[in-house]
Amino acid sequence: MKNRFRGAAVIAAVAALTLAGCSDPGAGGGDSAPAEWPAQDADLSGTTLTIWAAQNSNTVPESVVEGFEELTGAQVDVVTIPDPYEQSVQTKVATGDTPDLAFWQPTASMLTALNASTNLQPLDDAPWLDSYKPELRDITGILDDTRYAALITTPAVEGVYYNKEVFAANGITDVPANWDEFVQTGRDLKAKGVTPFFDFGGGTPWATQWWVQVQLADAAKDGLWDRVNANEETFTDPTIQGAIDTYDSLIQEGLFNENLKTATFEDQGPALLSGDAAMAVQVNSFFGQLQSLADTAELDEKIGFFPISPSGNVGTFIPDQSNALVAFKTGDAKREAGARQLLSYWLGDGYADFVEAQSTVSLQTDVDSSAEVPQALLAVSDSLADSVGSMQALAIANPDLYLNLGDLIQGTMTTAEVGEATQKQFAELAKAIGAAGF
Amino acid sequence: MTTTLGLSKGAARARGIREFAASPRAKQDHPLWFLIPALVVLVVFFFIPTVFNFVYAFTDWSSFKSGINFVGWDNFVSLFSSGQLLGALWVTLVYAVLVAVFQNVFGLALALLLERDTPLNRGLRVAFFIPVIMSALAVGYIFQAMLKPDGAVNSIIGSIIGQPVDIAWLGSTTWTIVVVALVHAWKWMGLSMLIYLAGLKTIDGDILEAARLDGASWWTTFRSIRFPLLAPAVTFNVATALLGSMNGFDIVQATTAGGPGGTTELLNIFIFRTFGQGLFAQATTMSLVLFLLVAVLAFPVIRTLRKREDVL
Repeated sequence: MKNRFRGAAVIAAVAALTLAGCSDPGAGGGDSAPAEWPAQDADLSGTTLTIWAAQNSNTVPESVVEGFEELTGAQVDVVTIPDPYEQSVQTKVATGDTPDLAFWQPTASMLTALNASTNLQPLDDAPWLDSYKPELRDITGILDDTRYAALITTPAVEGVYYNKEVFAANGITDVPANWDEFVQTGRDLKAKGVTPFFDFGGGTPWATQWWVQVQLADAAKDGLWDRVNANEETFTDPTIQGAIDTYDSLIQEGLFNENLKTATFEDQGPALLSGDAAMAVQVNSFFGQLQSLADTAELDEKIGFFPISPSGNVGTFIPDQSNALVAFKTGDAKREAGARQLLSYWLGDGYADFVEAQSTVSLQTDVDSSAEVPQALLAVSDSLADSVGSMQALAIANPDLYLNLGDLIQGTMTTAEVGEATQKQFAELAKAIGAAGF
Repeated sequence: MTTTLGLSKGAARARGIREFAASPRAKQDHPLWFLIPALVVLVVFFFIPTVFNFVYAFTDWSSFKSGINFVGWDNFVSLFSSGQLLGALWVTLVYAVLVAVFQNVFGLALALLLERDTPLNRGLRVAFFIPVIMSALAVGYIFQAMLKPDGAVNSIIGSIIGQPVDIAWLGSTTWTIVVVALVHAWKWMGLSMLIYLAGLKTIDGDILEAARLDGASWWTTFRSIRFPLLAPAVTFNVATALLGSMNGFDIVQATTAGGPGGTTELLNIFIFRTFGQGLFAQATTMSLVLFLLVAVLAFPVIRTLRKREDVL
């Protein structure tokens, strides 16, 4: 009995000691002195830099890595983090595991989710900033007046992808100039027996939220998300709730594909390409799907893009993970400087090669876009200049609006419940972030 | 330190087996400190994580801040005040019960069908056991593809009845949970089969022969003799299926990811989603709730099932 008691005492002591050391293992970092920016070709022999990338972005750095390794003698490892990428990275960072650089969505909410001020290197006086086209320089990547993310490709824009042939066959010559015309075009097409809109409620219904967000473009320009961030306006107030109600009413009206409840993302591209449906409100990654189904010539012939907002053709931009990189505070000054040097090279001498290798649109005035960029993507990038930020870009937290809208499609939530559930989650996240007013 | 040779206490008493008490001699042979290596592993990998699970549930640990502060019952209050946790708990319970029923019915049926030791049966047993060792995610993704409206299942049904079928097996807000539970049961039924087979083998041939001489039919023999004698196997199978599927995640994540409309959102999927949002403390609180629920369920379930073994 005495022995057993002693054993219990030992366990209790061990537990107490462990608990005493209970602190966030992700709380690395340190003070941030103003960073120096090494020359792009400074020698980095013997230094190994790690870049975390997702399954859909792990080939993006190829040309840059090759050029940088040759120029500096550094070794750069691109490590693929399995999907869901953001969750995996957050979990790793929470346990104190950080790379030198990582692909990351450069929005305020996602920078907050990484605890940017503690974990990330500030990039405020980076040498490449002046090379950006002026309208793109400060579009994203900034949290609390500090720049934490380096934008490498054009951020995605929420807007309408449409089948040009279906429009032409039904006598539509001009693309809709505002939301009402857009809906009217849908009704006209339906009257002619064409499925106007394609969305998907099966699988992970992530595109549902674009329908609500493009309706909020005018309000977003007017400071909607600032008010939401301050808890002065909520998802259940008329502006956002109204957009949710409108989305539902379009579904009830029968303007969407018949298999809305069961269709998945994989069905959307083929449906638009074949002309089974005329339009889809989507973002750039949808175009990636189209590119896997058809070549540039066919896409130029069939697929067009126009941004939409209640009062006009204003796009809603939503940078994603493949658009930008963040540099971590690893505590190793040499590697931290190496990471900054790699970014300088990426957006400096290596940028032209990068744009060509990725066949993408250039962000810089002195570098031309690749000649192989499809027209629709050029239209997307043209719409960026006067676009407004999405919920992901401007709100401090990113609630699962799309999931709740998916539940709306399935009939397990009403429009009012969608607004309430989203607001509740937003408030919970905002409280965890420590935002004032929650 | 007592033992009843693996029998339930009631059964042991019925057979006149006295509880075994370790002699002083045995205590010398196996001093308690021999337990330390095992205990260290248990403490580090089980005890401490469990304690942390309790501790973090009362903090505001998140990915947004470096500090961790105690917040009392805040997480519990906000979780239980929103219907979502209770909804996920209910879905989890329904799922676990469905899986337990399906897996045991299938496993028992297979065991009875493949009971005789013929070469064909041996081959079939292996075939039915293969899903058990397959990756659960792989199983989930395969079924997700097969159950699509244009998937293999519909083509097969269509070719049998002679007209195209496009049932969305994973698209019903009412029935999808049943379909997913069937997939889960399909994956694990081989294990139940194996345990039931082992149970059937232990039944004394003399008893069955006596029954046959008394003119008992196959069904009567099964109902009155073999099934009651299978009680230990039933205990193990029902308990593991029920409590194991309470912790289900992989198959459901791969087939429906909680959809459609959240009707298959098990608590673990909800936890995963919450953790992914950076709300680590809330996710921990939920896993604590799940832990408590499993514990609360486990005792009466196992007790009831063990009681049935008293007839042995």
